[in-house]
Amino acid sequence: MANDPIVQVRDLRKVFRQGDLDVIALNGVSVDIAPCEFVALMGPSGSGKSTLLHLIAGIDRPTSGTVLVQGINVAELNESQLADWRNQNVGFVFQTFNLIPVLTGFENVELPLLLTQLKRSERRRQVETALELVGLSDRMHHRPDQLSGGQQQRVAIARALVTDPALIVADEPTGNLDAKSAADVMLILQALARSSGKTVIMVTHDPKAAAYGTRSLHLEKGEIAA
Amino acid sequence: MNVLSFIAKNALRNGRRVTLTVSSVAVSCALLVTLQTLQRELTIPPESEGASLRVIVRNKVSLMQPLPARQLSVIERIPGVVAVSPFTFFGGTYAGETVTSFAQFAIDPERFRGLLVEGRIASGDYDDFVRDRTSCLVGADTMTRYKLKVGDRMKFTGTFYPIDPDLRIAAVFAGTVDDRGVFFNHKLLDDVTGGGSTVGTWYLRVASAKVAPDVITAINAAFANSSAEVRAETERAFQMSFMAMLGDVKSLTLSISAVVVFTLMLVSVSTMSMSIRERFRELAVLKALGFRRREIFSFILAESFGLAFVGAVFGIGGTWLFWSHINLQKLSNGFLIYFEVTPRIMAMGGTVAAVLGILSAIAPAIAVARMSVADGLRTLD
Repeated sequence: MANDPIVQVRDLRKVFRQGDLDVIALNGVSVDIAPCEFVALMGPSGSGKSTLLHLIAGIDRPTSGTVLVQGINVAELNESQLADWRNQNVGFVFQTFNLIPVLTGFENVELPLLLTQLKRSERRRQVETALELVGLSDRMHHRPDQLSGGQQQRVAIARALVTDPALIVADEPTGNLDAKSAADVMLILQALARSSGKTVIMVTHDPKAAAYGTRSLHLEKGEIAA
Repeated sequence: MNVLSFIAKNALRNGRRVTLTVSSVAVSCALLVTLQTLQRELTIPPESEGASLRVIVRNKVSLMQPLPARQLSVIERIPGVVAVSPFTFFGGTYAGETVTSFAQFAIDPERFRGLLVEGRIASGDYDDFVRDRTSCLVGADTMTRYKLKVGDRMKFTGTFYPIDPDLRIAAVFAGTVDDRGVFFNHKLLDDVTGGGSTVGTWYLRVASAKVAPDVITAINAAFANSSAEVRAETERAFQMSFMAMLGDVKSLTLSISAVVVFTLMLVSVSTMSMSIRERFRELAVLKALGFRRREIFSFILAESFGLAFVGAVFGIGGTWLFWSHINLQKLSNGFLIYFEVTPRIMAMGGTVAAVLGILSAIAPAIAVARMSVADGLRTLD
């Protein structure tokens, strides 16, 4: 069953209440994503791409429809189960890096592992491996404000990888980076899908970034465009 | 890194705010502990065993009204009375001072011997005091304060009585709850008040605490409907009613303490709320990474509690150090003697700080718990 979709989205709707108005962010989206795919979600602002990403990653709940990730209906998990599920199955990369400023790169990457039963030495080994993978072994003890934007994003990718999740979700990961750093980050994400067996789902406005993916999905007005 | 170091790094991330918060808690705790210590000093009567055995008999009309000396023979025959002495407040000033900073009483030296239950003669000779009607018995604290020694003279200026006693120090007492008083022979007052026909109050010792209520009832009954009705009460009750003349000290200190605690709470809640508000995005990220509500609540609680704890340690510990190394008796002219910051008061201050630390964490923790991860992340991009 290796080729079964890792993500199955069916008839997904998400409606936000804004004052007296209902705003439809997603309107009956259905999509399958296979393991090791690197999918770029594209579309204009307000098209629902970030909402779709959030629902797949289990950080928001749909109004209706189902999101199955590795056969688990994410919407049916309670708050606590969802937190555990995210810790074990999803790695997050954000546009603004979102590293904890008082922690070093090493400590930021170690953060998700504090929720596991791993011993200190095992945590250290995993963190070092993740930082080595993104090419930041030499700057692991620097705080975020001592790192460039590209380096910070690589720390964020290491943090997303360190628990060895099947799914990496990235929300405009190159949005705050210069061209060179953006290319470096995209190559790392591409390598994760190609060589490390991760499924990467990325929201981006940038066609150059999307070109690193194996597939692009275009959303418009809450629906997948043909 | 472990969870504790993560919490510590978060708590200490803004040095200025940490310093100000800890200082606020410390100052508030210091104020609270000082107020409670003051209240204890002013309202707690002597708690010695002797205090429960001593009874003071005063005129029922007013403390200022004298009692007839003839009452002595009636009082000393009441069952349970072991010793009784006249006890008249002199209220003079010493060494040119404008206010009386320690009490002087006229007593019957021979009878008074039986009333010094927990006291002892530290130096000099009590028999010398009994023999010489112009001598006095002085508390050890007053001897130290005025650098006096046995044989020195103390000259008082009368304020209520037209007499300026010039007394030789015959003996020094110590070991009582208040080692400041000066006692001299009642005969000196008798000479100017009409040959010993009146006394200020009667001071007596009963055989046991158990019989004290019966003795009090018997004394009050003995002089009921007489020309000088009396009010007998234990030393503790007497002290309490005397302190009541200062006003409701307890309510006053309690009110100020409540204001201090309320202010402390506002400071803590405001600080924690600001601190968490600034970190909403980070907390949303923590949630995204898999931290549950209860774990994030624990982080906030530990941070708030930790800051309150450090503030309390500085505030309460500093207050204890300060008051235990300062000669408050000298500074207050003898008004405050012990001013002891007791373990109980320190524990109370620590508990207040701890409870406030916990309360301060609740509002921000609820806000974070209610925040959906998606909403938290949306605010940052």
